[in-house]
Amino acid sequence: MADILQARAPSAADLDFHRLVDAENGWIDRRIFWDEGIYQLELERIFARCWVFVGHESQFAEPGDFVTTYIGQDAVIAAKDRKGGVNVFLNSCSHRGNRVCFAEAGNARRFTCNFHGWAFGLDGALLGAHEEEHYERCSTFDKSKLGLHRARVGIYKGLVFATFDPEAPSLDDYLGDYRYYLDVLLDNDPGGTEFIEGNVKSRLGCNWKFAAENFVGDAYHAGWTHASAARAIFGKDVKVNVERSYQANINGHGTEFGLDLIGNAMGLAEPEVVEYLKENEARFAERLGKLRSRMVGAMSSSNVFPNLAYLTGFNTWRTWTPKGPHEIELHTWVLVNKDMPQRLKDAYRRGVSRTFSPTGMFESDDGENWEHCTRSNAGVVTRRQKLHYGLGMDSRMEHEEFPGAVYKVQLNDANQRAFYLRWADLMSAASWAEVPQR
Amino acid sequence: MSVNTLEPAAAGGRQASLELFHDIEQLLYKDARLLDEQRYDDWFELMTEDFTYWVPVPQSRYRRDRKGLYEPGRMAHFDDSLAELKLRASRWKETTAWSEDPPTRHVHYVTNIEVEPAEASSEWLVRSVVISLRNRNEDEENWLGGRREDLVRETPAGLKLARRKVFIAQSVLLAKNFNTFL
Repeated sequence: MADILQARAPSAADLDFHRLVDAENGWIDRRIFWDEGIYQLELERIFARCWVFVGHESQFAEPGDFVTTYIGQDAVIAAKDRKGGVNVFLNSCSHRGNRVCFAEAGNARRFTCNFHGWAFGLDGALLGAHEEEHYERCSTFDKSKLGLHRARVGIYKGLVFATFDPEAPSLDDYLGDYRYYLDVLLDNDPGGTEFIEGNVKSRLGCNWKFAAENFVGDAYHAGWTHASAARAIFGKDVKVNVERSYQANINGHGTEFGLDLIGNAMGLAEPEVVEYLKENEARFAERLGKLRSRMVGAMSSSNVFPNLAYLTGFNTWRTWTPKGPHEIELHTWVLVNKDMPQRLKDAYRRGVSRTFSPTGMFESDDGENWEHCTRSNAGVVTRRQKLHYGLGMDSRMEHEEFPGAVYKVQLNDANQRAFYLRWADLMSAASWAEVPQR
Repeated sequence: MSVNTLEPAAAGGRQASLELFHDIEQLLYKDARLLDEQRYDDWFELMTEDFTYWVPVPQSRYRRDRKGLYEPGRMAHFDDSLAELKLRASRWKETTAWSEDPPTRHVHYVTNIEVEPAEASSEWLVRSVVISLRNRNEDEENWLGGRREDLVRETPAGLKLARRKVFIAQSVLLAKNFNTFL
């Protein structure tokens, strides 16, 4: 019976995702922001398959330090074990499936399920159970096989990622040449980076891709959407430099950027941060080269496929975790260089709260846009109207230093088209082997 | 550890008179009404120049955890001086603050007021509960509640707010933004 039902059910997997996403001509079908079937397939083919960000190494300073988070809608625990490794495993008991850990962060020796007292180690292995003697003659109670299902873990310069797909490429291959751009923030100082403690969490009624595409390449919205914040902070409108600004993308990861050193950082309204960037430009250049040293606080936004985003200058890092086709949870952190003086770290922390948090002067306008870009698709006729992503179709260029597909002028839809093309590639592919390099 | 991080009152036996209690209560009601009316310049007149405003993000941690629900230095919704709050509010005055036009409809509700002595003889520790109702556009509605701990100072210009801490209940803010003060 179940087989018959399954055979009859129309499947989102049968859709032609390269028609829904017409990257070549710059048109997107709005169903990808609304349809429940497409969303369920995203959970399988994007989130259960890609490397997803779970935390920063600085959140795991001591053995037993843990955070709970999500890979797609799969709840996970990330915990540091006694040997110093970070483990990521499902936060759902192997006995009846109850959530095992309810705290968002802390330090633990083990994770014990509230239901029947099954206890799991920092690597997810089953350590024991309440009144375990009842299982003495139970042949299927094999503790070595009843641990919490583990993900593969990869770390790149402090950022901890995990994937549930054993077939996925290594994290280094997954990030590929995009690491050149990540290093702008992750490797401009010999002491490395850390997250300031805590984060801000909020819920937005939007499809996760509207948030991701906004950060991967939508420099165009900033001048209009954020006009009020710019006038309040700078006393005037902000203009993008059309001579020396770029977009670059690799396998759906993307960044749009200028080479203005302080363009974003000015928005923090924290003069010390701008001074720090100016004083250290030459030091950044020693590690990153001259061109990249000009990106450290520049006007820019970026998204690592699928759902990790960041802003140079503001130094906010954030994830767009899907909670259904029409809802996300946004987590906002602040990344700083470990060796910065505390006063400077506080300036970044307080500046991000004033700009890119739910109380922030920039973010309030973003949320309004993304929610209504999503909600309008409840209309069936509305959903039939394709969206225009045609800006900068002829702007591809070669650059002697910048890796990836590089485009002239950060006001451009190029990165958004590349993001959706990667999305379509993954949604169409039955396995990683079928996913092309872009 | 304790789940309640609110400050204890200063010892010493000072007690607010009924008249003072009444005046403080009226101050808090005016404070709420000015926020409802989005009269931020008038609202800032209620504060002393050294006013600080802190709205931490509560963390959901186990009771045995050595770190608390709230910690200074963590990411916060607000951790601002008066000048910084004024900068935030200045955006709402711009005609290009698209997400504030049409305006959000605000209702701030204040209750559970207690007045206790603070360390300085001219200051009072004032506890209250605030609930914010926001409604905007057609059907978007958000509720947000918190416990407040204010420092109220008697000045030649009358009673002023010298410090405010707001301990909201939501760990994950169940809204796209937080476009008001509490």
